[in-house]
Amino acid sequence: MDLLQVAHLKKYFATQKAVDDISFSISQGQIFGLLGPNGAGKTTLIRMITGIFYPDAGTITLDGAPFDPVNDIGKIGYMPEERGLYKKMKIGEQALYLAQLKGLRKKDAIESLKTWFAKLEMDSWWNKKVEDLSKGMQQKLQFVTTVLHQPKLIILDEPFSGLDPVNSNLIKDEIFNLAKSGSTIIFSTHRMEQVEEICDHIILVNKGQKILDGTVQGVKQEFKEHLYNITFASAPPQTEAAGLFDIKQTTANGLILQKHPEVSNNQVLSHFLAHGASIDSFNEILPTLNDIFIRKVEGTPLARQFQTIQD
Amino acid sequence: MNKISLIIQREYLSRVRKKTFIITTLLFPLLYLGLIFGTSYLSEKAGTKLKIAIIDSSGSFTQQRIDKANKDYPGSTLTLLHEDPAVLARTFDQKGFDGYLVIPANTMVDHAPDNLVVRSKKTLGTVSDVQSKLNTIWNEIKYEDLGIDAQKQQLLTQSKLQIKSENTENKTTDASLAYGIGFVSGFLIYFILIIYGAQVMMGVMEEKTNRIAEIIVSSVKPFQLMIGKIIGIACVALTQFLLWIAFIFIIYNATRAGSGALNNSALTGAVGGIQKLFTDTNVPAILLFFVFYFLGGFFFYSSIYAAVGSTVNEDMREAQSLSFPITMIIIFGFFIMMTAAKDPGSPLAVWGSIIPFTSPLVMMARIPYGVPGTVPYWQLALSMAVLVASFLFVTWFAGKIYRTGILMYGKKPTWKEMIRWAVRK
Repeated sequence: MDLLQVAHLKKYFATQKAVDDISFSISQGQIFGLLGPNGAGKTTLIRMITGIFYPDAGTITLDGAPFDPVNDIGKIGYMPEERGLYKKMKIGEQALYLAQLKGLRKKDAIESLKTWFAKLEMDSWWNKKVEDLSKGMQQKLQFVTTVLHQPKLIILDEPFSGLDPVNSNLIKDEIFNLAKSGSTIIFSTHRMEQVEEICDHIILVNKGQKILDGTVQGVKQEFKEHLYNITFASAPPQTEAAGLFDIKQTTANGLILQKHPEVSNNQVLSHFLAHGASIDSFNEILPTLNDIFIRKVEGTPLARQFQTIQD
Repeated sequence: MNKISLIIQREYLSRVRKKTFIITTLLFPLLYLGLIFGTSYLSEKAGTKLKIAIIDSSGSFTQQRIDKANKDYPGSTLTLLHEDPAVLARTFDQKGFDGYLVIPANTMVDHAPDNLVVRSKKTLGTVSDVQSKLNTIWNEIKYEDLGIDAQKQQLLTQSKLQIKSENTENKTTDASLAYGIGFVSGFLIYFILIIYGAQVMMGVMEEKTNRIAEIIVSSVKPFQLMIGKIIGIACVALTQFLLWIAFIFIIYNATRAGSGALNNSALTGAVGGIQKLFTDTNVPAILLFFVFYFLGGFFFYSSIYAAVGSTVNEDMREAQSLSFPITMIIIFGFFIMMTAAKDPGSPLAVWGSIIPFTSPLVMMARIPYGVPGTVPYWQLALSMAVLVASFLFVTWFAGKIYRTGILMYGKKPTWKEMIRWAVRK
């Protein structure tokens, strides 16, 4: 079942079409990657999904019903890219305050805060002030306040920025746990290796429009260039492609070759075997999301240009 | 509603618990009293004391009279010399005098010299205390010369026409007391608008620059956040104000208990004033109006301050340049309030107490003079209605600007852009 459906969403600002007719849907329990270059409209899109902005056009359906910003707030946990906490407030009080604003009762909030603080090794923090925390520690606190009210939809904008590898892994595990227990997660980032590692499904947004939509594997298949890496026990045999493939690169004991699309893997392998080569490994090189990202976005102006909008 | 009350609680507690709140609440009355007593003390004590040599050619200003005047009144000292004026003119400063004065020979009661001059080698400024001292001597000379005895003297000095104004509608109003109450209430509202208005602005800026605003508005509506902040800070101001009233009560009771032992004239005067205040005026009514105008004015101005705070970035200077016009209007209101406290019926006072930009200050200066005597019911009703309507409108309008501004970073918006934010749905 789809937890979130976004259809033909539009938001125009005075000088920009920030979000220009974007549609997608996310099924429950998915970890969904929202990718795009700076200024692509990701934040505006997220702000509409969190009810901070009203869309100019289009519909948002959350959990089977039209999204109602006032009452559905408790179903969403949002951690913006720019983190924010009251610097002078005590950590326990702050987390409690944010939880109560989400509609949690005080008693429940304290209880689940204690659990989370214990889980993320933050027990001793309760009476400290935010200004006493390092950036990474603030990040952890921010994460806790985002997920504390057990939202169905969790939106994380660059959740790992400023975290060391140990704490990154801690948070990453929690994200997986949350997804396993049924929460749906929208994960917005520029860090493609994290997307490959974490996300099931991605969309790529550029200049306010969706330019790519699919599962991580599906997208990779779609953009594959039929590149294969083949390694040999000895030096690579000097052999001609014979209409099967082109050699892209020669390494010490291997080749990177581009297979012609209609040719099967077996044909390539038999070609080498026929030449008496002893094959160590043969595997396909799929493009990284990073490559795909760059390929899709490259050629468009780095910064969005201002344009005049006629409503 | 529940969420607004959470926000109010946080805004209130986080401010009231601060040490600075406790300190300013305690220190402000002390500083204020210190200022009042200090300035009156200073002006009494710190005047320059001059040494003036007197050469009397008329023979009326005797040593005895001058000694008596020196003894009875502090201040400049007069010394009678029998010297040639021409010699003294050269030597008075070597003898330690600041100046000298020559009383001409033909000075008589029916022929008072019209301009006597204290001559000095420096500029002496005002010589009013020399003048008053010589005048007391001159009075004695006059009385003696005209044969007026001590009893008649007393009659002459004490029998005067006393003129006071009386409000026939409300006989208990005393103009000078009304002036005092009006001025103090107006001043307090002015003070609270400036200090706490700025606090609202700073609070909004803090949330924006901390980037917590985005997290909060994903839980509550921006308008709820703004209104919660304003109400929370209004409660802080009210708390502070109530604490001050409590102080006045405590001081009043303490001093009344021990007033027999007091001989400090300024303090007993103040205590007398407070006693009069509690017996002669309708304190609950004035307090009620005060709270109304305080809240009305506070909502009106602090929502503008909140809108301003939401549009600027980290830069304090931007905030100052945008909030300056608002502060100017409040200061302008303060000046109208001062004239209204003196002359509550003037057209300036009447209009100033109806227009919402100034009415919280100006109306509070007029109300102590009496309702409906000085302030007719229609003016009061109109003023209150206009204030309520305009604070509702301004809060709504500011909320629109706030909603957009709080999430906008980067360039400072122009007034035109802000109005567009407000008008757009």
